[in-house]
Amino acid sequence: MAFNTLKVENFLRRVSAASIKKYATASEAVQVQEEPPVHFRTAESNPVNHTTQHQERFYTIPNDVYKKLYSGGGLPKEFMKQVKTFNECCFLTRSPTIEILSYLRNTNYNKPVNRYVLYGPSGCGKTLSMAHILHYGLATQKVLIHIPWAPNWFRHPKEVANSTTREGYVDLPIDAAAWLIHFKNQNSQLLEQLKLTTDKEYTWSLRESTPRGVPLMQLIDLGINRVRYASEIIIALTSELKEASIAGKCQTLVMIDGYNIFFTDRTRVFTDAKAMVLPDKVSLTIAALEMTKYDWCNGAVVVSVDQLAVGGKKESDLPRLLLGKAGFEHLDPFMPVSVNPYTDSEFYNVMDYFKDRRWVRNCDDEGLQELKLLSAKNGFKLMNLCAAL
Amino acid sequence: MSIITRLGVKNTREIARISSLTSSFATQSEPPSPVAPDEFRVLKLRPDPVQERQKREIRRTEVPPPRSTQMKFDQDWGSVWPAARSFHPATVPLPVRQGYPLKNAAPPNKYGNAELMKIPNFLHLTPPVVTKQCEALKKFCTPWPAGLETDEKCEKHFPVEVLTSDYCYSSPTIREPLARVVTIRLKLSTLNLDQHARDKLLRLVGDRYNPEDDLLTITSDRCPTRKQNFEYIEYLLTALYHESWRTEPWEAEKSEADMEYYDWDKSKSRDGLITLYCWPEPPIDNDYETIPHATEYKIAVSDLINNGEDEYSLNKYKEAVKNMLFLEGQEKK
Repeated sequence: MAFNTLKVENFLRRVSAASIKKYATASEAVQVQEEPPVHFRTAESNPVNHTTQHQERFYTIPNDVYKKLYSGGGLPKEFMKQVKTFNECCFLTRSPTIEILSYLRNTNYNKPVNRYVLYGPSGCGKTLSMAHILHYGLATQKVLIHIPWAPNWFRHPKEVANSTTREGYVDLPIDAAAWLIHFKNQNSQLLEQLKLTTDKEYTWSLRESTPRGVPLMQLIDLGINRVRYASEIIIALTSELKEASIAGKCQTLVMIDGYNIFFTDRTRVFTDAKAMVLPDKVSLTIAALEMTKYDWCNGAVVVSVDQLAVGGKKESDLPRLLLGKAGFEHLDPFMPVSVNPYTDSEFYNVMDYFKDRRWVRNCDDEGLQELKLLSAKNGFKLMNLCAAL
Repeated sequence: MSIITRLGVKNTREIARISSLTSSFATQSEPPSPVAPDEFRVLKLRPDPVQERQKREIRRTEVPPPRSTQMKFDQDWGSVWPAARSFHPATVPLPVRQGYPLKNAAPPNKYGNAELMKIPNFLHLTPPVVTKQCEALKKFCTPWPAGLETDEKCEKHFPVEVLTSDYCYSSPTIREPLARVVTIRLKLSTLNLDQHARDKLLRLVGDRYNPEDDLLTITSDRCPTRKQNFEYIEYLLTALYHESWRTEPWEAEKSEADMEYYDWDKSKSRDGLITLYCWPEPPIDNDYETIPHATEYKIAVSDLINNGEDEYSLNKYKEAVKNMLFLEGQEKK
């Protein structure tokens, strides 16, 4: 037990230290402003204004936003490396993003939330599309409930503990606390502005409880400090945010990457008796599924389904297969949005961007053609191929 | 030895014994020369020349030239080759060749060609012969029944097809056990079935139904004679039909997992849609007709799940959802 608490404390110290470091502004690289306009870039860095006229062009994410949104995950590792190398974070504005943004702008927010499901082959940009939409959520002052890569909880759980309040459920305390930190990083400013308070009284144990009318930030801090209750606090937090959204106090954007893991039949979460725990017996799943239900308004749900989330063993990338029967029934009716490989013009813009960053040199038309064929216009493959050029 | 032979005849008796012993040593055993009994036999140092044996005369049957060389071009081929038989090079007036050719050579010609004899031929079924045989058979035919001119009409009036096999061969018995097997085939669409009856019938017949051509095939070989088998099949078909129409009390227990197809009207999707549409109030009635574009959505979901998921069905679903949920907001704009 003592060892466990030590471990937890160590981990949290590490996490907070890392995040504090990321939030520090002292060592920030100097941004070069006023770059000359080029055909593959757009100066419009506010995703609220992104429409089809910005399509197929790169827009730059301000450094503070980049640190705020993606320091706890949300971008692929290789892409993060590239961002560091290029000294700027640029997203390609692509048609699935534009499509979802137009829906988000035109939705009637008094109606139940609409669910959007991004699907497509691996490496084509589902996660980056979600990152773009996340930026939109930040720009439109939405509370962001962002699970960067849900399969991490079920495939590499840091610690598994039996739930004290729910019979037969297990908690993932450290993962839950880490997510609360991520949530806090993304939303602290907005939550302070909104002044949301708890609507119910919560009892965590005999001695510890949270009364009504406590600011949500306090609840989150409790979860970070008292790791044992982190999972329960996430459930409480999501239900509070749901109630607040229904009451019209805030707008909430739920984004979950690798959503189909919640309906899989194989996890690496094991109980003390070495019995596999299915996702529906993990308390974090309750929160995720509650947030993706239709029974609230003033919000939107964007999830992605991915082959990689379930080990890449399914025979297609289409959402009905990946979600399975239970998942489909849970999300139905949803809006499937496909993320496809680059179009030709997108491919050339990406290559121009790489040339502009001096990442690719001496690549003539023949080389471009070869890269196009080798990568099959898949963004991830293209990035890997260009790494050696 | 010659000394011994020169001894007097007096001694011949005694010597004969020796001679018979020694004769085996003689290099040439001479046939007993015709010598008078009182005379000495003549020693022949050089044997008589061997008479030449008369050679047996080999009789060669005279092979006539191939028959095909004498054929007239307007002969009656049907009488040359009246029935099915193996290929015969001299009878067939065609320069056919078959077989694996040697290098730089043409395929082997028809003489002594086993390849040509192996394969079955239809030289007895040339068009004029067929015509002639049909002409000969015509007098046994009856006119085609009126009203059955086309296949469609035949299928309409005689939906059940009965298949049996007759066997014909020369052997001590003319009975063939396989002749008792009876098969019937009919299109399921010709039976008068509603949705429940059709589903039940399909479950009862199992793999005897082929959904590709809608054919139901029932075979019976359990009875000893063809007539009995046929009657048994008639019984089976009748029983199947009436059993399908009957609804048993336990059929009400059929749950979603037992459904043979996705029924949107009984699915969670329908309940979800109605509650979603009525939200935040709980749903009042169970009617989805009031929801705009719900029928389109229903068809899209059913197609997506019944026909399998692909880009086309998914896009259809997407359009249906868009029309149902998103149109309002877009109109507002």
